[in-house]
Amino acid sequence: MIDAKNIYKSFGSLQVLRGVSTEIKDGEKVAIIGPSGSGKSTFLRCMNLLEIPSAGEVWLENDLITTCDPTLHPELSALSGRDLKRARAAFEKEHRLDINLARQKMGMVFQHFNLFNNLTVLQNLMLAPVQLKLKTKEEAEETARALLRRIGLEDKANVYPSTLSGGQKQRIAIVRALAMNPKVMLFDEPTSALDPEMVGEVLDLIRELADEGMTMVIVTHEMGFAREVADRVLFMSDGVITEEGTPAELFDNPKNERTKQFLRCVL
Amino acid sequence: MDFITKIIELFSTEKYMSSIWKGLETTLVISVLAALLGLVLGTIVAFVTIANDTKWMKIPKIICKIYITVIRGTPMALQLFIMAYVIFAIRGFPQVITATIAFGINSGAYVAESIRAGILSVDIGQTEAGRALGLPGRITMLRIVIPQAIKNVIPAIGNELIALIKETSIVSMIGMYDLTMAAKIIGSGNNMASYIVPMAVVAMFYLAIVYILTFGIKKIERRLRASDRR
Repeated sequence: MIDAKNIYKSFGSLQVLRGVSTEIKDGEKVAIIGPSGSGKSTFLRCMNLLEIPSAGEVWLENDLITTCDPTLHPELSALSGRDLKRARAAFEKEHRLDINLARQKMGMVFQHFNLFNNLTVLQNLMLAPVQLKLKTKEEAEETARALLRRIGLEDKANVYPSTLSGGQKQRIAIVRALAMNPKVMLFDEPTSALDPEMVGEVLDLIRELADEGMTMVIVTHEMGFAREVADRVLFMSDGVITEEGTPAELFDNPKNERTKQFLRCVL
Repeated sequence: MDFITKIIELFSTEKYMSSIWKGLETTLVISVLAALLGLVLGTIVAFVTIANDTKWMKIPKIICKIYITVIRGTPMALQLFIMAYVIFAIRGFPQVITATIAFGINSGAYVAESIRAGILSVDIGQTEAGRALGLPGRITMLRIVIPQAIKNVIPAIGNELIALIKETSIVSMIGMYDLTMAAKIIGSGNNMASYIVPMAVVAMFYLAIVYILTFGIKKIERRLRASDRR
């Protein structure tokens, strides 16, 4: 589904990602854990190009969504100058997908919800499908109402986000992403900004999606949840994936010293 | 007591009142036209300055930055003199147009900064959420960012309009007959023989204009804030 190849990202002189590669398979649920500042969120944001990687490539199914990185293609790395430029352009022309089209297939949920404050809940859910002409207004409203009914917030359809609780906002943010029928969902610390009593309702909804077979990547600090839902857990530190494995392997029998130290602190 | 009788005299003398109406007209015409020019110019400049750094935008961006720096960094009176005595130093060129352009260009620089600040004050998460759904930057800007930015911009624009109206009083320096000039001329006449009376009257006129404007802005603000909580 998503194939990240050798991703590097720097902000000025600060290297946040130093060669991260992983492949998210169809239907797989991947949790990314690690200490703060390890690059988890940056890596997730590179997958839908909210951050543009400094080097490396991201593929969504069979489409390239970043620019072409010649170092990953042996036939290109031998070229230089104008030849390289031409070969890269040809490669991108053949494989590259417009980022806006790619993002339509990838739902994203943010730590701070980011519901559109100037729109009602219903309008939040309808905006993208209608603006992108994927649905008519009537169809979009029908889908939106069905999604709200699913999370039990149909009565909130016409209110503005400022009147909602954190848990309600986040659940609406999740169904806003679902309204686009994404193939994969990216969660960027979806419960970190919530009051403790609201974490449960959001995790329940994510768990429900997981059970339905949605492919998902979750950056999280909820170790219990990661262990329960994920098929695979990535432990990141200092901009690289230090260790990965099934939840059982990683949580019960970590091999790397850094992982052990981290888990001792959080478990 | 003399002060009050003089005020009554001013209001009841045809000659004085026609001076004031004439001055008021000039002040209002320059203010309204310059405000419109400033808003249009300021909006354009603001969007150029926040546009992405692309090849095509490089030179317009530099021009806009120089424009804002120079206009905000030099006195309004000097800008007005340059307009009147250098750029439009043409015999018979209407002074109202000179003044309108001078004040419009000046106001545009301040409006541009207010709008830029207003757009930047909208949480970046709003843009990211729009883009993450696959919306193009233009639609995200138009449907999500700008509607929220307007609320933040209105008070600053109101301030700028108020400052603009009062600042037009310096057109008397290039010999234009505005409200302030009317006060000066009435005061220096033989009959009135007092500056304080016409100046006080004219001050009331300025105050009234600003008060009405403030009232209008507050009303707009309230309407826009209505969607915040419901």
